[in-house]
Amino acid sequence: MKGSKHFSVTVRAWRQAGPAEPGKMVSYKVKDISPDMSFLEMLDILNDDLLKKGETPITFESDCREGICGSCGLVVNGDVHGPDEHSTVCQLHMRRFSDGDVITVEPWRVKAFPILKDLAVDRSALDRVIAAGGFVSINTGAAADANATPVEKDKAEEAMDAAACIGCGACVTSCPNGAGMLFTGAKISQLALLPQGGPERAKRALSMVAAMDKEGFGNCTNEYECEAVCPKDIKVANIARMNREFLLANLFSKR
Amino acid sequence: MEITFIKRFITTSIGRKAVMAVSGLLLGGFMLVHLAENLLLFKGEAAYNGWVDMLLSNPVTPLLELGLLFLFLAHIITGAWVRVEDFLNAPSGYEARKWQGGRTIGSATMLYTAAAVLAYLAYHMLTFRFTDHSMGFYQMVTYAFRDPVFVAVYVAGSAALALHLSHGMQSAFQTLGVNHPKYTPLIKIGGILVAVAMTGFALISVYYLLGIDIKAAQAGYNVVIIR
Repeated sequence: MKGSKHFSVTVRAWRQAGPAEPGKMVSYKVKDISPDMSFLEMLDILNDDLLKKGETPITFESDCREGICGSCGLVVNGDVHGPDEHSTVCQLHMRRFSDGDVITVEPWRVKAFPILKDLAVDRSALDRVIAAGGFVSINTGAAADANATPVEKDKAEEAMDAAACIGCGACVTSCPNGAGMLFTGAKISQLALLPQGGPERAKRALSMVAAMDKEGFGNCTNEYECEAVCPKDIKVANIARMNREFLLANLFSKR
Repeated sequence: MEITFIKRFITTSIGRKAVMAVSGLLLGGFMLVHLAENLLLFKGEAAYNGWVDMLLSNPVTPLLELGLLFLFLAHIITGAWVRVEDFLNAPSGYEARKWQGGRTIGSATMLYTAAAVLAYLAYHMLTFRFTDHSMGFYQMVTYAFRDPVFVAVYVAGSAALALHLSHGMQSAFQTLGVNHPKYTPLIKIGGILVAVAMTGFALISVYYLLGIDIKAAQAGYNVVIIR
């Protein structure tokens, strides 16, 4: 149903045919936008128009579209994940825009995340950091009673807050240095805070930090831009915890 | 002998930052002591020169100077290294880019204030340390503080130092993993206070440049006047 509230916007999106191809910003007019649409639905409509015209649709990543998977990630008008605070871009709605707006849409532009096509980037650097130690590998035997391992409520909450990280890469993108420390800090913290993560904490901190360094992220200069944009509101205290884990492991473990 | 752990302080991102943080905190501590030394100017020539004589006659002083040089080098080398890597890896090519409020003037200008402080340090070394001391240290300092050019360099250098420490002090604690809701607010306030204290170097020089000592004495206050 077409209501009077429907409006038009101009999308200026980054188009790049492949990883090694040169890219450029291209403008598209998108008509008949409902304010109730999500930003990604607006891009879906734009892509439908492009397909009808026989043009190549704009590649962008999305999966759950409910803010919990970490697939989507765009820089909208210079804002990482759009203008809403602590939100993913799939949770951004067109009601935040007005008729005639020109909306600039860019991919994450970080060395560690090479652009694959248009707005989609390769974030496998984050996966390799996890693969270096973001897990518990000790043999735990058969499933134990949940109350067999006592965990203090506050600690459990803190670990859950760190585990809320969806690995979208906004922290890297928002960082003036392209550092991956909020992500790695959260992934080290979620295990360091729990007894199950204890036995391997030294090995984990050393190898995950080494993997992070290898991926070509920048260094943290404690500017806290990452915390300001993180859709899951991950705190920089997790970076401090990673620093602590790493330095203590370096000085006091046998590794 | 196991030296991997020492290597990690040079080869890993967090290790290098830890070296930068520890050296930065120690240098910050030195600056506070140095400011306290400067305050001896207000007690007059005898007190000031007495302190300088004690330092010069103390056999430990050259060792402390070497330690200080080592701290400066460690801080500058690790800082430059971190910054070069950041420059190479920073997000780039955005048509539009907005900062979200995490950055401060201090944090965004660390590299520039670092360069300014280094220039200030070089000027300070050339004018006070590697120079002719025959007129006496108190005379040398107070004479310099009547020179507008000298004082202008001091004001600019101290302002850069204050800005540098406004981010640097709390940042160093975070880098060393010292972050807790209980005391991080206190660390942040403390860092700002140390930063503000650095303007003391400038204020002392301005005090003499404007002849406040003479005016205060004329108004009947018991202050030491320099000639």
